[in-house]
Amino acid sequence: MNNTPMRSTQILKRLIILVVIAVVVVIFSYGWTVTNINLAVPQEPQRQQNVGKSLRELLSPNVFTQDYEVSSYTTNFRIICSDNEIIPPAEPSTLLYIIVEPTCGVGDDTVTVRGFNFPANGLARMNWIATDGERRIRQVDGSEENNFVADDDGTFVVQIQVPRIRGTSDEIHTVEVQGRFPIGTPRFSDTTNLVMEKMVETIFLALIATAVSILPSVVLSFLAAHNLMRPIRGQFGSLMVSFTLLPVGWVLGILLLQPIGAFMFGLGRESGTSALAGLGIVVLQVIMIWRVLAIIKALIPFMIIRRLLNTLVIIITLISIIGLVGGLGLFFRDTFTEGILRYVGVFVGSLGQIIQFSMELIVALIGAFALSSLGTSLTKDLLKNTDVTFNHLLGGLLGALGGAILLGMTATIGLTAAWMGLLTPIIAGTLATTLLPQAYRWFVAKPQVPNSTDRNILRALAWLSGIVGFIFTFWILNVGQSLVEGMLPAQVEVFTIGGATLYRYVAIPMVIGAMLGGISGALGGAKGTFPLGGVIYNTTRTILNILRSIEPLIMGLVFVIWVGIGPFAGVLALALHSIASLGKLYSEQIESIDAGPIEALQSTGANRLQTIMYAVVPQIIPPYIAFTMYRWDINVRMSTIIGFVGGGGVGFLLQQQINLLRYRDAGVAVLAIAIVVSILDYASAAIRERYT
Amino acid sequence: MLIIENLTKVYDNGFVAIDNLSLEIPDGQFVAIIGLSGSGKSTLLRCINRLIDPTKGRIIWNGLDITAATTDELRQIRRRIGMIFQQFNLVKRSSVLTNVMAGRLGYINPVYSLFNYFPPQEKARALAALKRVGIPEKANNRASALSGGQQQRVGIARTLMQEPEMMLADEPVASLDPATSHSVMKYLELLNQEDKMTILCSLHFLSLARAYSHRVIALKDGKLEYDGSPQNIDNDRFKMIYGEDAVEVEIH
Repeated sequence: MNNTPMRSTQILKRLIILVVIAVVVVIFSYGWTVTNINLAVPQEPQRQQNVGKSLRELLSPNVFTQDYEVSSYTTNFRIICSDNEIIPPAEPSTLLYIIVEPTCGVGDDTVTVRGFNFPANGLARMNWIATDGERRIRQVDGSEENNFVADDDGTFVVQIQVPRIRGTSDEIHTVEVQGRFPIGTPRFSDTTNLVMEKMVETIFLALIATAVSILPSVVLSFLAAHNLMRPIRGQFGSLMVSFTLLPVGWVLGILLLQPIGAFMFGLGRESGTSALAGLGIVVLQVIMIWRVLAIIKALIPFMIIRRLLNTLVIIITLISIIGLVGGLGLFFRDTFTEGILRYVGVFVGSLGQIIQFSMELIVALIGAFALSSLGTSLTKDLLKNTDVTFNHLLGGLLGALGGAILLGMTATIGLTAAWMGLLTPIIAGTLATTLLPQAYRWFVAKPQVPNSTDRNILRALAWLSGIVGFIFTFWILNVGQSLVEGMLPAQVEVFTIGGATLYRYVAIPMVIGAMLGGISGALGGAKGTFPLGGVIYNTTRTILNILRSIEPLIMGLVFVIWVGIGPFAGVLALALHSIASLGKLYSEQIESIDAGPIEALQSTGANRLQTIMYAVVPQIIPPYIAFTMYRWDINVRMSTIIGFVGGGGVGFLLQQQINLLRYRDAGVAVLAIAIVVSILDYASAAIRERYT
Repeated sequence: MLIIENLTKVYDNGFVAIDNLSLEIPDGQFVAIIGLSGSGKSTLLRCINRLIDPTKGRIIWNGLDITAATTDELRQIRRRIGMIFQQFNLVKRSSVLTNVMAGRLGYINPVYSLFNYFPPQEKARALAALKRVGIPEKANNRASALSGGQQQRVGIARTLMQEPEMMLADEPVASLDPATSHSVMKYLELLNQEDKMTILCSLHFLSLARAYSHRVIALKDGKLEYDGSPQNIDNDRFKMIYGEDAVEVEIH
């Protein structure tokens, strides 16, 4: 009785397997057609000949070259034989000589030419010189090439045809054999030298790209590791304050700190004496932090002022050091222009330049982060003893402010390109996900300990409000139209204050953001927690994933437009891709570490930074070294082709040679790439093995 | 005095690890916490120094509400509560000395830590702690080169750096052989007697609880099953704690 359902399910299973196989076959066949696989094409004789020739040349790379000496040996030949004048054959001797038999004839006659005492396997060419003195190359019978080769014993016997030359009779022509004899030892060809030069460029291109990418990837890897970031929860109120203060600090940083940085930069750059003075200032500042600050702070009664003073002194010192270092870099470059120090000078000079042109960004970032962290800690203190009403009121206010700024920023980014317009609806939708769940908690149920039903309801509500938020923002900003047309949204002015204009496209998201943030903040309260770490983790991961999915060749194309053809564009492209890829690889290493030491150090009262330094860093150093080596290996491989889009290195040369159909030269580049890549492959494998 | 009031911990997956537990532990007591795996021993210990945030309830230690402490306050509190673990939780690639000094991080200027610097007096303190647990000669070895018992002693030395008033021990001998287990337990007993440290130690073996503790707390499904002297646990009580089929195994 029980057999029937069993059998039917089994039949069903087999049927499903059959259907799956059929579907797979169809998909595969479709792929076969799509990829234009045509087995007739590779069999066409002309194509086979072409590929054979190209392959032959590729596999005979023009690595070596040799100098040749060309010398010619002649004998006479009479057109139309006559009995009275037969040129006697030369006497055999140890010198090079040739004999032609017979010594007379007419056009199209086949004559035999013998040569003696040539170098073994020496290369030679046959010429026919008529009375007009013009050399006519004669191909020897049975050969398609102009050259022929002497035998091992230095003799040769070849047959040629007497050329038919109009209007010749009863003349003495000359049969000439030109020998090409090597002199000296073989040496590297010019192609090889050029390839080697470019190969060095390639290896360093990869090295610099890898080295530059290490620091940013390490930082990003910490932000993209879920085991470090997920537990981080910020307090909603203080977070919103810090968020609001970010742009304020940005502007303040530029206004107040940039003069300090520029002054110190000038001191470093000016002269040796002024650099010394700058150094003195920095030392004084450090002493100030080390010894004096504590004394001054003890005299100030208010906690807020003490903290402000502390932050101020530290960031001024920081800016001074950065500015001075930058100036010193340029000073160094201008001072040392000879010898090996010149390279170092160019390098530190570039560092100085980086500091110089990013000074505004640096001071803005420092100002923004200093002010916002100050705001965070002050808000935390302030919120500690607030009552419930105030808590929710403040939550609403701060939430509205933060939401408005956030969506205002995304809308501003949305003004850069049509598809960037999607950013605002996405962020608005993400913000909206908190709305309904919080409302549910507030009005319907306040479960201290949510059970699984509550959890499912909350999740459904989050999705619902998120999707509604996305669609609403998408619709009201008319994102769809600008996507279809590929146009930026129309800029309708709302009002202008001073030099700043607020556009409708930015104003609407700000209102939406204020509403979403305000309601969410009011319901959750200023003291509520916010999954800060999760947000940072997801943002970092998304950016890394997007960056990683763009091939370095495409990045190279963009950078070539920006900085021009050459290895610099290649370095930038490879570095950017390496940051994304190493960031991911590194963060996966952090995620797989032993969590025990982290727990242990947290339990001793170590702060987050200390826990990372002593529990995480020692565990990740070996895999980080291994992955960096691996990345260098990959970068060398990629840098060999980044030249195809103008990114410098051996690839640029290779592309030129291929375009000029010089396959023997291209073969040299291919050979060099193969050698370098396999050596590096082996070396990086050996080093990785040691560290994993 | 450690006061635990109506402590409840529900994990995100809905599992109730601690269910409305209330306890009072006077200073200087050696408390053994026993119970089956999953009965909430580890969760209870981790709630006390808030490695795990409780869902409900309060934990008050010497008048400080640990459950309400801010991040900074919590670090101040954690400095004074040592913790050792079943898996020792040492950084295996670091030296023994570094592992021990890491116990002092709560007292050290975080800027020093950025440059991996410990003041000389902390180095001396770490060596003294290692001497106290009997392995001063291992200071410069890698932690991974030590045996299990030695690693747990390094763990104890690390907590000594905190100059703790209370010690949380999460099955400190579960990964060790019987002889080593006793030597580690003796160190805990020493800290309890000489330094007057309060000790909360979760254990698998009742015999160890009997030998070293003043008081046994038995947990079952996150609830208090027994609280009293180790000597009063007879066969019936034992079966109540560990289930009908359990048989007591002695460890000598």
